[in-house]
This record gives sequence, structure tokens and C-alpha cells, in this order.
Amino acid sequence: MTDPATLHDDGVLAQRIRSGDRDALGEVYDRHASAAMAVALRIVADREGAEDLVHDAFVAIWQKIDRFDPARGSLRSWIVTIVRNRAIDRLRGTRPSIEIGEADERALLRSGPNPTWESAMARLGSIQLRAALDELPTEQRQAIELAYFGGRTYREIATLTGVPLGTANGRLRLALARLRDRLSQTDAAPVAISAGDDR
Amino acid sequence: MSEMTHQQVEELAGAFALGALDPEEEMAVRAHLADCREAHPELEAALSAAMVMAESLEPVPPSADLRDRLMATIERTPQENRQPVTEPQKKPGRGWLDWFSPRVARPLAIAAVAAVIAVGAWNLSLQSQVEQRDAALRAVADAISGGQAAFRVEGAAGRGYVVDTPGEGAALVVTDLADLPPDRIYELWLLNPAGAPVAVGILTSTDEAVAVVQLERDLSGFSIFAVTVEAERVAAPSGEPVMLGVLGSS
Repeated sequence: MTDPATLHDDGVLAQRIRSGDRDALGEVYDRHASAAMAVALRIVADREGAEDLVHDAFVAIWQKIDRFDPARGSLRSWIVTIVRNRAIDRLRGTRPSIEIGEADERALLRSGPNPTWESAMARLGSIQLRAALDELPTEQRQAIELAYFGGRTYREIATLTGVPLGTANGRLRLALARLRDRLSQTDAAPVAISAGDDR
Repeated sequence: MSEMTHQQVEELAGAFALGALDPEEEMAVRAHLADCREAHPELEAALSAAMVMAESLEPVPPSADLRDRLMATIERTPQENRQPVTEPQKKPGRGWLDWFSPRVARPLAIAAVAAVIAVGAWNLSLQSQVEQRDAALRAVADAISGGQAAFRVEGAAGRGYVVDTPGEGAALVVTDLADLPPDRIYELWLLNPAGAPVAVGILTSTDEAVAVVQLERDLSGFSIFAVTVEAERVAAPSGEPVMLGVLGSS
């Protein structure tokens, strides 16, 4: 888990990478490769394969750093999302090369991400975040893990778990809303995030 | 899929944030977001909350030699923003093969190739060339839909894929190829890991939406695909690449 100062410094490092500074890429790797590796390994369950994914993702980051917009999210979340997308491709038996990364969906939002939330996330440890996940009802946790780590669509989740489509979609929505609410109650939470409805 | 309403997008916020939509739905959400000027509070909150999934994992340090391998790779890997020295005039983009997530990119690529096949968008005078391109297009569609290797290439001259179909060789598919002066051609190159280029074909300006050319060599043993602008076919590139793509390990 990185700290807010690191988030700020990542913007500087991204600029250095943009200017062709290979050492800056090395610094970004040193900061975030372990997080990227954790995601890749969790998804593909193969250390060698996970390392290949991390390697290829950082090469893509080097090549396509111009596509990273610090106003739209952190470098860390961009990296993790690229790795996650590639790992899901690997899991599904497709080639990662057809995906490349305009990875962070938040870039599509006109309002952009909530930077305060990113800082709050950065202040929380993985243990606290796992605890928040553990507090979710089993079926909700199962649904979001099938989606994020298993690469399953909500339609596939509905089939796998034997529930209607609306229920599967609702579990994903509700799980994220509960996570948001749960983390909003921590000292690290951003004040700008309002409590969500629990539909 | 038809257009989505603002409410429908918000209702799919969780699935979108977790990458759990079907390709058609994901495209519809992205299309909505591209045009919608309203705020999407639930979607924004869901995307932020989804970060918990990755951040909840205990970090796993990679092996010690991975960093060395990475640094060795980028030593020989150019950046996108450092490619073009010779920049042909770019046609307005049509948005094909746009920059989407993996689930969306594949059906889009298939649709683009299928559309070209369906309307006969290329029009060559020589039957052999028609057959050659027809075969290449079918190979591309089959390759992409079958999960074969498709390596993204792009630069000032256009964007597309190099698609490798075992037993049939590799083909370049480019959308919106930039115009060239009449006395210039595009020359295609494969580079081995040591950086040595091998000429694998040429391409001229075209008015077609999609240009396809079969490469004269398969991709085995090569790590980079490049395109340069030349006055005529030459044995070694004379300038900086106007399109580049990194191929998978050979």
C-alpha cells in the first residue's frame, strides 16, 4: 500500500517517463510492481505467468505513458487496471496484445475520480480493506470476486450462482455501495463521498 | 445494443466498475458516457469502491530478476510519443478499432473486418491481389475471433493490428491510413530482438477505410513491427517509424 506522498510523486514520475527517463519507470516499478503482481497472481494463479503479465504491462506503460492523465486518476490504479485486464485476458485464453490499455474507466467520467478517495484508500492498509470485504454478505463478496478476479460478467455470475440477472447485477452494485459506506466510516475516508442507497 | 439511458447506466454501475458487463453493454455504457454531460454519482462511487478489490490484496514482490528483464526490454522499446519524425497528413479518424477494453476491442475488430468483407470496400484491378487481400481478411477475422495473436500497431500513419495466423503467416490491417505524397510508399519491417530490420512488404496510400497487406515473413524470431516512409522499396529503413507495434515473445 502506498501513501499519499507517493501518489503525488507518481505524477512527477509519470512526467519523467514521458520525457523518456527509463530510471523513472524503474522507480514506478519499485513502488507498484508488488501490488500489480498481487493482482496478476490472484487472477492467473501462476507465478511465472503473473510475472510475464507484470513485465508486459510495465512495457506498455512505458510505451503509452501519454495516455495516462493524472487529472483522471492515480498512476497506481492505472497500472493495476492494466494488469488486471491483461490477467483476465490470460484467464479467458485470449491474447493480451489485443487489449492495451486505456484501462481506467474513470477517465470516461466528466467529473473524473475523487482524488480524496484515492488518498483515503492509500492511507488504509490491505488488512483494513480485507476486513471491509469480509464484512460483506457472502453472496455479495462471492459476486464481486467472481467479477473482479474471475473475469465473469454479471450474466455469467447469475448462471453460476443460480440467481436472476437482476439479482446478480444488484449484488455487485450493493456490494460496492456497502464497501463505499463502510470505508466512509473510517478516519481515512473522503468527506466528499456521500452514503449510498442500499437498493 | 440500443442506446442506454442515464438511469440504465447508473443501474449497471457496479457491473461496469468491476468489468462485468458483456461487450455490447460495455460499449453502450461507454458510448453514453462519451456523450452525456450529466454527473454519474453512483458510477463514480462504484469505480472508486472497486479499487478496494486490488488494494485489499497482500503485496507480492516479484522475483529479483524481473526488474532487470523489464529494464532490458524498455532499453530497446520506443515510446509512442517519440515515434514520428516524418508525419504524413492524417485523415480524420473514423473511430474504428478505438481504444477500448479487451472485451470490446475484439468484437469491434471482428466487426470492422467483417464490414470490409461484406461491402467489398477494397477495389483492386488485379484478381490475384483481390484474392490475396480476401484471404488475408478472412485470416484476420478468423485469427481474431479464434483468439490468435493480434498485436496492436499505431503511429502517425494510422492504427491497426498485425495478426499472426499459424500456417498462414501474418497480415497487417490498418484503418484510416494517412495519405502520402505520390512519390512515397510505406515500407513494412520486422525487427529482431537485436534491432536488425527485415523488409516484409510495402503499402501505398489508399482511399479505403481498411488497408490489408500480407507480410512476406512470419513473425517468428521478431519482436518489433514497424512502418517507415520511403521513396522506393529499400533494404534498410531511412527514417523514423510512422507506425510501431511490439510483438509477443517469439
